[in-house]
Amino acid sequence: MKNLKYLISLIIGHLTVFKHIFKKPVTLEYPEKKIELNDKFRGEHAFDVEKCTACGTCQRVCPSFGTIEIEKEKDENGKFYPKNYSIDLNKCIFCGNCVQYCPFGAIKMTQNYELADEKKSTLKLEINTLKRNYFDNIIDK
Amino acid sequence: MQTNNKLKINIGPQHPSTHGVLRFVLELDGEIIKSCEPVIGYLHRGMEKMAESRTYLQYLPTVDRVDYLGGFFNSYAFCNAVENLAQIEVSKRSRYIRVLTLEMNRLSSHLLWLGSYLLDMGATSPLFYTLRDREVLLSLFEELTGQRLMYNYYTFGGVRHDVWADWLKKVADFVEIMPRKIQDYEDIITNNPIFATRTKDIGILSKHKALQYSITGPNLRASGIDLDSRKDANNLIYDELDFETKIAHSGDSFDRYMVRIEEMRECLKIISQCVNWLMGNEGDVISPVKQPTLKVPEGEFISNVEAPRGICSCYVKSDGSGKPYRVKWRTGSYYAVQLLPKLLEGTFYPDMMAIFGSLDVIAPEVDR
Repeated sequence: MKNLKYLISLIIGHLTVFKHIFKKPVTLEYPEKKIELNDKFRGEHAFDVEKCTACGTCQRVCPSFGTIEIEKEKDENGKFYPKNYSIDLNKCIFCGNCVQYCPFGAIKMTQNYELADEKKSTLKLEINTLKRNYFDNIIDK
Repeated sequence: MQTNNKLKINIGPQHPSTHGVLRFVLELDGEIIKSCEPVIGYLHRGMEKMAESRTYLQYLPTVDRVDYLGGFFNSYAFCNAVENLAQIEVSKRSRYIRVLTLEMNRLSSHLLWLGSYLLDMGATSPLFYTLRDREVLLSLFEELTGQRLMYNYYTFGGVRHDVWADWLKKVADFVEIMPRKIQDYEDIITNNPIFATRTKDIGILSKHKALQYSITGPNLRASGIDLDSRKDANNLIYDELDFETKIAHSGDSFDRYMVRIEEMRECLKIISQCVNWLMGNEGDVISPVKQPTLKVPEGEFISNVEAPRGICSCYVKSDGSGKPYRVKWRTGSYYAVQLLPKLLEGTFYPDMMAIFGSLDVIAPEVDR
């Protein structure tokens, strides 16, 4: 009797597994196909230098010390602007605090997640890279 | 190493079934385990000490990493403690969103546990099915929060942004198809004779021992003790929702499995109620805390939340400055690892994974 019960449950189990042969695959063949990401995705940073006043809020809310480096300077009108600005992706944890708390909306995050690189030094995003990200990913979109 | 006819063997820290970096030193007599010594600390990241050098806002994104399968729970525990200390009001809509995301997170955590537990015991297909269904949840999280595991979605006094109708629709669709999937798992696993023989009457955790070792969560409920901190959590809106606490009585590995399966169904019930409420009601979710520096008045608070692996508590002590004076985490897995030597004593070596897997331990939560 017990053996019969076991046999029935084994048959049900095998039929359940067998059903899946006819279903469509759920996986995507990366890198040929990629998933679609939405605007809220937290990927590589982009930076609008026009909006930034080098106030340093992004530095103060960043959980990982030394990720964001700002060198600020005064222009001829007496306003502060960032002469140099860099984000070190080796230290960044992609929490999005800098984007959330920037009072001027100068810093954004893009959908770029393929950040693997051969050298550690290239993972430090300098101001020009960040500006280019902004033009390529935020404005062009 | 062989001494006095006993064989000492080492499992881990880099072992595929220890769920992280955890090490066991076992003493075997033939196939019978004489003693087991868990060695922890390989994943220690100093989460508690880290808090002391960071402001509340800087520390908030890092707490998701205490338990990476239940990021929302840790985030909630810390936010709740700070909100209580600083007397920040949380709106009703935020609470509903929090409960919705917490329960989705519990479901995703249980799904991963189910797949990996069966994989530990030699069954490969369930892993693919559970990961396939968990993937839907993770995509929903990614759409809502921006990342798949490290959400950083809760803020002090609310959530980062509101949920929208499209997203809620997707969650409702998921809730509709999920019960059939859970039935599929049960068809494959629950009545399977091999699974039953390997888990029934194995690793029995008595009521008395569970209480002695401060076990909480599904492991405790499988031993017949009805303790669910959701039922008396007045800071969330669980009292307005209709759900049951599932318990089992014998406390063996099979019961721990059954409790979690039943809990998944309860999760779906809670999720669908939250979705209905959120679709029918409007409200404000944005936190009243706008400035990046948050000063918390002097005091201390312990907040509890029923996480997938037992009660997760966060103790925060403030000295009135912008940084916490002390943060202490209490997580369920730590206690389950301490229990393991007692459960393993006198059992067979091949049963080890059937017992250890059923406790649902993950190493980052043990070490913090």
